[in-house]
Amino acid sequence: MTENGPYTPDDKMATLISDDYRLLQVLSRFGIPLGFGDKTVKEVCKDRNVDCLTFLTVINFVTKDSEEKPSASGLSLTSLLEYLKQSHVYFLKFCLPAIRKKLIEGITLKDSDVSFLILKLFDEYVDGIREHMEEEEANLFPIVVSISNGDIVGKDRIYVYSRHHEEVGSKLKELKKIIIKYCPLAANANTLNDALFDIYRCEEELSSHCKIEDLLLLPALRNAINHIS
Amino acid sequence: MATDKELRIGIAELAPVILSGFCESLRKIKGFKPNITEVSDRESLLSLISKKEIDILIANPTFGGLLHPDDIRRASKNPNIRIFAIELGKLSKQALSLYDDHLHVTDDLESIKNKIISVCKFSDNKTDDKEALSNREKEIVALVVRGFTNQEIADKLFISIHTVITHRRNIAKKLEIHSATGLTIYAIVNKIVDLNDIKL
Repeated sequence: MTENGPYTPDDKMATLISDDYRLLQVLSRFGIPLGFGDKTVKEVCKDRNVDCLTFLTVINFVTKDSEEKPSASGLSLTSLLEYLKQSHVYFLKFCLPAIRKKLIEGITLKDSDVSFLILKLFDEYVDGIREHMEEEEANLFPIVVSISNGDIVGKDRIYVYSRHHEEVGSKLKELKKIIIKYCPLAANANTLNDALFDIYRCEEELSSHCKIEDLLLLPALRNAINHIS
Repeated sequence: MATDKELRIGIAELAPVILSGFCESLRKIKGFKPNITEVSDRESLLSLISKKEIDILIANPTFGGLLHPDDIRRASKNPNIRIFAIELGKLSKQALSLYDDHLHVTDDLESIKNKIISVCKFSDNKTDDKEALSNREKEIVALVVRGFTNQEIADKLFISIHTVITHRRNIAKKLEIHSATGLTIYAIVNKIVDLNDIKL
Protein backbone atom coordinates (compact mmCIF):
# COMPACT_ATOMS: atom_id res chain seq x y z
CA MET A 1 0.00 0.00 0.00
CA THR A 2 2.84 2.40 0.69
CA GLU A 3 4.78 4.23 -1.93
CA ASN A 4 7.57 5.16 0.40
CA GLY A 5 8.61 3.09 3.33
CA PRO A 6 9.79 2.15 5.76
CA TYR A 7 9.31 5.55 7.29
CA THR A 8 11.95 7.36 9.29
CA PRO A 9 11.80 10.01 12.04
CA ASP A 10 12.66 12.70 9.50
CA ASP A 11 9.76 12.01 7.14
CA LYS A 12 6.99 14.58 7.11
CA MET A 13 3.97 13.40 9.06
CA ALA A 14 1.64 14.61 6.30
CA THR A 15 3.45 12.40 3.77
CA LEU A 16 2.50 9.30 5.73
CA ILE A 17 -1.20 10.04 5.45
CA SER A 18 -1.09 10.93 1.79
CA ASP A 19 0.74 7.64 1.12
CA ASP A 20 -1.72 5.51 3.04
CA TYR A 21 -4.93 6.92 4.45
CA ARG A 22 -5.28 3.93 6.83
CA LEU A 23 -2.59 5.57 8.94
CA LEU A 24 -5.12 8.16 10.07
CA GLN A 25 -6.39 5.53 12.49
CA VAL A 26 -2.92 4.90 13.88
CA LEU A 27 -2.34 8.59 14.46
CA SER A 28 -5.54 9.12 16.34
CA ARG A 29 -4.94 6.03 18.48
CA PHE A 30 -1.57 7.42 19.51
CA GLY A 31 -3.39 10.62 20.44
CA ILE A 32 -1.91 12.63 17.58
CA PRO A 33 -4.46 15.12 16.17
CA LEU A 34 -4.40 16.46 12.63
CA GLY A 35 -3.09 19.93 11.88
CA PHE A 36 0.61 19.19 12.21
CA GLY A 37 1.61 21.35 9.23
CA ASP A 38 5.00 20.45 7.81
CA LYS A 39 6.40 18.94 10.97
CA THR A 40 8.38 15.72 10.81
CA VAL A 41 7.39 12.50 12.54
CA LYS A 42 10.02 13.11 15.20
CA GLU A 43 8.77 16.63 15.93
CA VAL A 44 5.11 15.66 16.10
CA CYS A 45 5.86 12.71 18.38
CA LYS A 46 7.84 14.95 20.69
CA ASP A 47 5.03 17.52 20.81
CA ARG A 48 2.47 14.84 21.71
CA ASN A 49 4.74 12.94 24.09
CA VAL A 50 4.62 9.77 21.98
CA ASP A 51 7.63 7.45 21.74
CA CYS A 52 8.85 7.98 18.18
CA LEU A 53 10.37 4.50 17.72
CA THR A 54 7.16 2.81 18.88
CA PHE A 55 5.06 5.02 16.64
CA LEU A 56 7.23 4.29 13.59
CA THR A 57 7.36 0.57 14.33
CA VAL A 58 3.55 0.43 14.38
CA ILE A 59 3.29 2.62 11.27
CA ASN A 60 5.77 0.48 9.35
CA PHE A 61 4.11 -2.68 10.60
CA VAL A 62 0.61 -1.60 9.56
CA THR A 63 1.67 -0.41 6.10
CA LYS A 64 3.76 -3.45 5.35
CA ASP A 65 1.74 -6.34 4.00
CA SER A 66 4.41 -8.95 4.54
CA GLU A 67 4.33 -11.43 7.41
CA GLU A 68 7.89 -10.57 8.36
CA LYS A 69 8.42 -10.30 12.11
CA PRO A 70 9.10 -6.74 13.20
CA SER A 71 11.77 -5.89 15.70
CA ALA A 72 10.32 -5.27 19.14
CA SER A 73 13.49 -3.99 20.74
CA GLY A 74 13.43 -0.59 22.32
CA LEU A 75 9.66 -0.20 22.15
CA SER A 76 7.90 1.87 24.77
CA LEU A 77 5.36 -0.30 26.57
CA THR A 78 3.52 2.81 27.74
CA SER A 79 3.03 4.19 24.22
CA LEU A 80 2.11 0.78 22.83
CA LEU A 81 -0.40 0.24 25.59
CA GLU A 82 -2.03 3.60 24.97
CA TYR A 83 -2.31 2.71 21.30
CA LEU A 84 -3.96 -0.64 22.06
CA LYS A 85 -6.37 0.87 24.59
CA GLN A 86 -7.49 3.44 22.04
CA SER A 87 -7.91 0.66 19.46
CA HIS A 88 -10.27 -1.12 21.83
CA VAL A 89 -12.26 2.07 22.28
CA TYR A 90 -12.42 2.48 18.51
CA PHE A 91 -13.73 -1.04 17.88
CA LEU A 92 -16.18 -1.24 20.77
CA LYS A 93 -17.49 2.30 20.93
CA PHE A 94 -17.33 3.35 17.32
CA CYS A 95 -16.68 0.79 14.60
CA LEU A 96 -18.90 -2.12 15.69
CA PRO A 97 -21.90 0.00 16.84
CA ALA A 98 -21.76 1.84 13.50
CA ILE A 99 -21.86 -1.46 11.61
CA ARG A 100 -24.79 -2.63 13.72
CA LYS A 101 -26.71 0.50 12.89
CA LYS A 102 -26.13 0.00 9.17
CA LEU A 103 -27.03 -3.67 9.42
CA ILE A 104 -30.37 -2.86 11.03
CA GLU A 105 -31.12 -0.34 8.36
CA GLY A 106 -29.93 -2.64 5.58
CA ILE A 107 -31.53 -5.94 6.52
CA THR A 108 -34.50 -5.36 8.74
CA LEU A 109 -37.69 -6.15 7.02
CA LYS A 110 -40.92 -6.41 8.88
CA ASP A 111 -41.57 -9.95 10.15
CA SER A 112 -38.27 -11.27 8.92
CA ASP A 113 -36.94 -13.76 11.43
CA VAL A 114 -33.78 -14.36 9.45
CA SER A 115 -32.95 -10.65 9.72
CA PHE A 116 -33.49 -10.94 13.43
CA LEU A 117 -31.16 -13.94 13.58
CA ILE A 118 -28.46 -12.19 11.56
CA LEU A 119 -28.56 -9.32 13.99
CA LYS A 120 -28.43 -11.79 16.87
CA LEU A 121 -25.38 -13.42 15.29
CA PHE A 122 -23.73 -10.02 14.95
CA ASP A 123 -24.47 -9.21 18.60
CA GLU A 124 -23.05 -12.54 19.71
CA TYR A 125 -19.96 -11.81 17.69
CA VAL A 126 -19.58 -8.34 19.20
CA ASP A 127 -20.12 -9.80 22.68
CA GLY A 128 -17.24 -12.20 22.01
CA ILE A 129 -14.95 -9.36 20.93
CA ARG A 130 -15.99 -7.21 23.88
CA GLU A 131 -15.38 -10.06 26.29
CA HIS A 132 -11.94 -10.67 24.81
CA MET A 133 -10.98 -6.99 24.92
CA GLU A 134 -12.34 -6.46 28.43
CA GLU A 135 -10.44 -9.52 29.58
CA GLU A 136 -7.25 -8.03 28.14
CA GLU A 137 -7.94 -4.68 29.77
CA ALA A 138 -8.66 -6.28 33.13
CA ASN A 139 -5.82 -8.80 33.16
CA LEU A 140 -3.21 -8.27 30.48
CA PHE A 141 -2.90 -4.47 30.47
CA PRO A 142 -2.22 -4.17 34.24
CA ILE A 143 0.60 -6.69 33.77
CA VAL A 144 2.01 -4.50 30.98
CA VAL A 145 1.87 -1.50 33.30
CA SER A 146 3.62 -3.35 36.11
CA ILE A 147 6.29 -4.74 33.79
CA SER A 148 6.94 -1.29 32.36
CA ASN A 149 7.43 -0.18 35.96
CA GLY A 150 10.00 -2.91 36.48
CA ASP A 151 7.81 -5.43 38.28
CA ILE A 152 7.40 -8.85 36.66
CA VAL A 153 4.48 -10.19 38.67
CA GLY A 154 2.04 -12.17 36.49
CA LYS A 155 4.44 -12.65 33.59
CA ASP A 156 3.40 -16.29 33.11
CA ARG A 157 -0.12 -15.25 32.19
CA ILE A 158 0.79 -13.19 29.14
CA TYR A 159 1.16 -16.15 26.80
CA VAL A 160 -2.51 -17.09 27.02
CA TYR A 161 -3.70 -14.06 25.09
CA SER A 162 -2.37 -14.67 21.62
CA ARG A 163 -4.30 -17.96 21.47
CA HIS A 164 -7.63 -16.14 21.74
CA HIS A 165 -7.01 -14.21 18.57
CA GLU A 166 -7.64 -16.97 16.06
CA GLU A 167 -11.12 -17.45 17.45
CA VAL A 168 -11.95 -13.77 16.98
CA GLY A 169 -11.06 -14.00 13.29
CA SER A 170 -13.02 -17.15 12.51
CA LYS A 171 -16.24 -15.76 14.02
CA LEU A 172 -16.15 -12.71 11.78
CA LYS A 173 -15.56 -14.92 8.77
CA GLU A 174 -18.69 -16.87 9.66
CA LEU A 175 -20.77 -13.73 10.04
CA LYS A 176 -19.65 -12.38 6.67
CA LYS A 177 -20.35 -15.64 4.96
CA ILE A 178 -23.82 -15.91 6.44
CA ILE A 179 -24.80 -12.39 5.43
CA ILE A 180 -23.51 -12.91 1.91
CA LYS A 181 -25.06 -16.32 1.39
CA TYR A 182 -28.21 -16.31 3.46
CA CYS A 183 -29.33 -12.75 3.97
CA PRO A 184 -32.94 -12.40 2.86
CA LEU A 185 -34.02 -9.62 0.58
CA ALA A 186 -32.29 -6.50 1.74
CA ALA A 187 -34.48 -3.67 2.95
CA ASN A 188 -31.86 -1.31 1.62
CA ALA A 189 -29.22 -2.84 -0.61
CA ASN A 190 -26.89 0.16 -0.55
CA THR A 191 -26.83 0.31 3.22
CA LEU A 192 -26.32 -3.45 3.45
CA ASN A 193 -23.38 -3.26 1.03
CA ASP A 194 -22.02 -0.40 3.06
CA ALA A 195 -22.30 -2.53 6.21
CA LEU A 196 -20.48 -5.37 4.46
CA PHE A 197 -17.69 -3.05 3.30
CA ASP A 198 -17.34 -1.94 6.90
CA ILE A 199 -17.26 -5.55 8.09
CA TYR A 200 -14.45 -6.37 5.66
CA ARG A 201 -12.53 -3.30 6.75
CA CYS A 202 -13.16 -4.06 10.40
CA GLU A 203 -11.89 -7.57 9.83
CA GLU A 204 -8.63 -6.25 8.37
CA GLU A 205 -8.24 -3.75 11.17
CA LEU A 206 -8.93 -6.35 13.84
CA SER A 207 -6.45 -8.74 12.31
CA SER A 208 -3.84 -5.99 12.23
CA HIS A 209 -4.70 -5.10 15.83
CA CYS A 210 -4.27 -8.73 16.94
CA LYS A 211 -0.97 -8.95 15.07
CA ILE A 212 0.30 -5.86 16.87
CA GLU A 213 -0.53 -7.53 20.17
CA ASP A 214 1.07 -10.83 19.15
CA LEU A 215 4.10 -9.58 17.25
CA LEU A 216 4.90 -6.31 19.00
CA LEU A 217 3.36 -6.23 22.46
CA LEU A 218 4.17 -9.78 23.57
CA PRO A 219 7.79 -9.74 22.27
CA ALA A 220 8.25 -6.28 23.81
CA LEU A 221 6.97 -7.70 27.11
CA ARG A 222 9.34 -10.65 26.86
CA ASN A 223 12.25 -8.30 26.19
CA ALA A 224 11.29 -6.19 29.20
CA ILE A 225 10.99 -9.29 31.41
CA ASN A 226 14.42 -10.52 30.31
CA HIS A 227 15.81 -7.09 30.92
CA ILE A 228 14.40 -6.94 34.45
CA SER A 229 15.43 -10.46 35.46
CA MET B 1 -18.58 -33.76 -14.52
CA ALA B 2 -15.16 -34.95 -13.54
CA THR B 3 -15.52 -38.66 -13.88
CA ASP B 4 -12.14 -38.80 -15.60
CA LYS B 5 -10.78 -38.59 -12.06
CA GLU B 6 -9.69 -41.90 -10.66
CA LEU B 7 -12.35 -43.31 -8.35
CA ARG B 8 -11.02 -45.14 -5.35
CA ILE B 9 -13.55 -47.81 -4.59
CA GLY B 10 -13.57 -50.39 -1.83
CA ILE B 11 -15.83 -53.43 -2.15
CA ALA B 12 -16.73 -55.45 0.92
CA GLU B 13 -18.59 -58.56 -0.19
CA LEU B 14 -17.94 -62.19 0.62
CA ALA B 15 -19.85 -63.92 -2.18
CA PRO B 16 -17.32 -64.25 -5.04
CA VAL B 17 -19.95 -64.12 -7.78
CA ILE B 18 -21.39 -60.85 -6.54
CA LEU B 19 -17.94 -59.42 -5.84
CA SER B 20 -16.51 -60.13 -9.28
CA GLY B 21 -19.80 -59.07 -10.84
CA PHE B 22 -19.57 -55.60 -9.31
CA CYS B 23 -15.86 -55.25 -10.09
CA GLU B 24 -16.43 -56.23 -13.69
CA SER B 25 -19.45 -53.93 -14.08
CA LEU B 26 -17.66 -50.91 -12.59
CA ARG B 27 -14.72 -51.40 -14.96
CA LYS B 28 -17.08 -51.53 -17.92
CA ILE B 29 -18.75 -48.19 -17.21
CA LYS B 30 -17.60 -45.63 -19.74
CA GLY B 31 -15.89 -42.57 -18.30
CA PHE B 32 -15.12 -44.26 -14.99
CA LYS B 33 -11.61 -45.02 -13.87
CA PRO B 34 -12.17 -47.26 -10.90
CA ASN B 35 -9.28 -48.24 -8.69
CA ILE B 36 -10.89 -51.14 -6.85
CA THR B 37 -9.73 -52.74 -3.63
CA GLU B 38 -11.52 -55.88 -2.51
CA VAL B 39 -11.70 -56.68 1.16
CA SER B 40 -12.63 -60.01 2.59
CA ASP B 41 -13.00 -59.38 6.30
CA ARG B 42 -13.93 -56.72 8.80
CA GLU B 43 -10.35 -55.97 9.87
CA SER B 44 -9.06 -55.46 6.35
CA LEU B 45 -12.07 -53.23 5.61
CA LEU B 46 -11.38 -51.00 8.61
CA SER B 47 -7.68 -50.95 7.82
CA LEU B 48 -8.38 -49.99 4.19
CA ILE B 49 -10.71 -47.06 4.94
CA SER B 50 -8.62 -45.72 7.78
CA LYS B 51 -5.33 -45.80 5.89
CA LYS B 52 -6.31 -44.99 2.32
CA GLU B 53 -8.56 -42.23 1.04
CA ILE B 54 -11.47 -44.19 -0.37
CA ASP B 55 -14.13 -42.28 -2.35
CA ILE B 56 -16.76 -44.97 -2.40
CA LEU B 57 -17.35 -48.05 -0.34
CA ILE B 58 -19.72 -50.65 -1.71
CA ALA B 59 -20.56 -52.98 1.14
CA ASN B 60 -22.78 -55.88 1.87
CA PRO B 61 -24.58 -54.71 5.05
CA THR B 62 -24.11 -58.13 6.61
CA PHE B 63 -20.41 -58.15 5.82
CA GLY B 64 -18.35 -59.46 8.74
CA GLY B 65 -21.23 -59.08 11.13
CA LEU B 66 -23.35 -55.95 10.94
CA LEU B 67 -21.23 -52.87 10.25
CA HIS B 68 -22.97 -49.60 10.90
CA PRO B 69 -22.32 -47.03 8.13
CA ASP B 70 -21.71 -44.38 10.79
CA ASP B 71 -18.92 -46.49 12.25
CA ILE B 72 -17.40 -46.68 8.79
CA ARG B 73 -17.69 -42.92 8.29
CA ARG B 74 -16.10 -42.37 11.66
CA ALA B 75 -13.19 -44.67 10.91
CA SER B 76 -12.71 -43.34 7.40
CA LYS B 77 -9.69 -41.26 6.48
CA ASN B 78 -11.82 -39.51 3.85
CA PRO B 79 -14.60 -37.71 5.79
CA ASN B 80 -16.69 -37.53 2.61
CA ILE B 81 -16.67 -41.23 1.91
CA ARG B 82 -19.88 -42.37 0.19
CA ILE B 83 -21.24 -45.72 1.24
CA PHE B 84 -23.46 -47.89 -0.93
CA ALA B 85 -25.23 -50.94 0.42
CA ILE B 86 -25.34 -54.02 -1.75
CA GLU B 87 -29.03 -54.72 -1.68
CA LEU B 88 -30.19 -58.29 -1.92
CA GLY B 89 -33.76 -57.54 -1.00
CA LYS B 90 -33.38 -58.32 2.68
CA LEU B 91 -32.97 -54.90 4.20
CA SER B 92 -35.62 -52.68 5.73
CA LYS B 93 -36.11 -49.16 4.41
CA GLN B 94 -34.87 -47.78 7.70
CA ALA B 95 -31.63 -49.78 7.47
CA LEU B 96 -31.10 -48.65 3.87
CA SER B 97 -31.60 -45.02 4.82
CA LEU B 98 -28.33 -45.15 6.77
CA TYR B 99 -26.44 -45.53 3.49
CA ASP B 100 -25.88 -42.87 0.88
CA ASP B 101 -27.61 -45.14 -1.62
CA HIS B 102 -27.84 -48.80 -2.51
CA LEU B 103 -26.92 -50.90 -5.52
CA HIS B 104 -29.14 -53.80 -6.41
CA VAL B 105 -27.67 -56.95 -7.95
CA THR B 106 -30.09 -56.54 -10.83
CA ASP B 107 -29.05 -52.93 -11.58
CA ASP B 108 -27.79 -52.36 -15.10
CA LEU B 109 -24.60 -50.42 -15.84
CA GLU B 110 -26.46 -47.21 -16.61
CA SER B 111 -28.29 -47.13 -13.29
CA ILE B 112 -25.13 -48.00 -11.34
CA LYS B 113 -23.38 -45.14 -13.09
CA ASN B 114 -26.22 -42.71 -12.39
CA LYS B 115 -26.45 -43.65 -8.73
CA ILE B 116 -22.73 -43.16 -8.25
CA ILE B 117 -22.74 -39.85 -10.08
CA SER B 118 -25.67 -38.48 -8.15
CA VAL B 119 -24.35 -39.52 -4.75
CA CYS B 120 -20.80 -38.42 -5.36
CA LYS B 121 -21.87 -35.21 -7.13
CA PHE B 122 -18.76 -35.20 -9.29
CA SER B 123 -17.91 -31.65 -9.79
CA ASP B 124 -14.83 -29.55 -10.17
CA ASN B 125 -16.51 -26.82 -8.25
CA LYS B 126 -14.91 -27.39 -4.91
CA THR B 127 -17.17 -25.18 -2.84
CA ASP B 128 -20.37 -26.87 -3.99
CA ASP B 129 -18.95 -30.27 -3.36
CA LYS B 130 -17.46 -29.34 -0.06
CA GLU B 131 -20.60 -27.77 1.32
CA ALA B 132 -23.23 -30.29 0.32
CA LEU B 133 -24.63 -31.89 3.44
CA SER B 134 -25.65 -35.52 3.41
CA ASN B 135 -29.21 -36.38 4.34
CA ARG B 136 -28.02 -37.60 7.71
CA GLU B 137 -26.21 -34.34 8.34
CA LYS B 138 -29.33 -32.39 7.43
CA GLU B 139 -31.32 -34.46 9.91
CA ILE B 140 -28.79 -33.57 12.56
CA VAL B 141 -28.84 -29.87 11.68
CA ALA B 142 -32.63 -29.91 12.02
CA LEU B 143 -32.40 -31.41 15.49
CA VAL B 144 -29.58 -29.13 16.62
CA VAL B 145 -31.47 -25.98 15.69
CA ARG B 146 -34.59 -27.28 17.41
CA GLY B 147 -32.52 -27.26 20.56
CA PHE B 148 -31.88 -30.97 21.13
CA THR B 149 -28.70 -31.93 22.95
CA ASN B 150 -26.15 -34.31 21.43
CA GLN B 151 -27.37 -37.09 23.69
CA GLU B 152 -31.02 -36.52 22.71
CA ILE B 153 -30.05 -36.53 19.04
CA ALA B 154 -28.13 -39.79 19.52
CA ASP B 155 -31.16 -41.38 21.20
CA LYS B 156 -33.57 -40.18 18.53
CA LEU B 157 -31.46 -41.41 15.61
CA PHE B 158 -30.26 -44.62 17.29
CA ILE B 159 -26.62 -43.66 16.91
CA SER B 160 -23.87 -43.11 19.46
CA ILE B 161 -23.15 -39.68 20.88
CA HIS B 162 -19.67 -39.90 19.35
CA THR B 163 -21.22 -40.28 15.93
CA VAL B 164 -23.38 -37.21 16.58
CA ILE B 165 -20.28 -35.25 17.58
CA THR B 166 -18.43 -36.44 14.46
CA HIS B 167 -21.35 -35.39 12.28
CA ARG B 168 -21.48 -32.00 13.96
CA ARG B 169 -17.78 -31.52 13.43
CA ASN B 170 -18.13 -32.41 9.74
CA ILE B 171 -21.11 -30.08 9.37
CA ALA B 172 -19.18 -27.19 10.94
CA LYS B 173 -16.26 -27.91 8.64
CA LYS B 174 -18.35 -28.12 5.50
CA LEU B 175 -20.45 -25.02 6.17
CA GLU B 176 -17.81 -23.05 8.05
CA ILE B 177 -20.58 -22.28 10.52
CA HIS B 178 -19.82 -22.93 14.16
CA SER B 179 -22.46 -21.05 16.11
CA ALA B 180 -25.97 -22.26 16.85
CA THR B 181 -27.45 -19.00 15.55
CA GLY B 182 -25.52 -19.34 12.28
CA LEU B 183 -26.71 -22.90 11.88
CA THR B 184 -30.30 -21.80 12.51
CA ILE B 185 -30.06 -19.21 9.74
CA TYR B 186 -28.64 -21.85 7.39
CA ALA B 187 -31.40 -24.30 8.29
CA ILE B 188 -34.23 -21.79 7.81
CA VAL B 189 -32.94 -20.45 4.51
CA ASN B 190 -32.36 -23.96 3.18
CA LYS B 191 -35.77 -25.08 4.46
CA ILE B 192 -34.29 -27.82 6.62
CA VAL B 193 -36.54 -26.65 9.43
CA ASP B 194 -39.74 -24.76 9.62
CA LEU B 195 -39.63 -21.48 11.47
CA ASN B 196 -42.49 -22.60 13.71
CA ASP B 197 -40.40 -25.48 15.04
CA ILE B 198 -37.79 -23.19 16.51
CA LYS B 199 -37.96 -21.21 19.67
CA LEU B 200 -36.17 -18.01 18.77
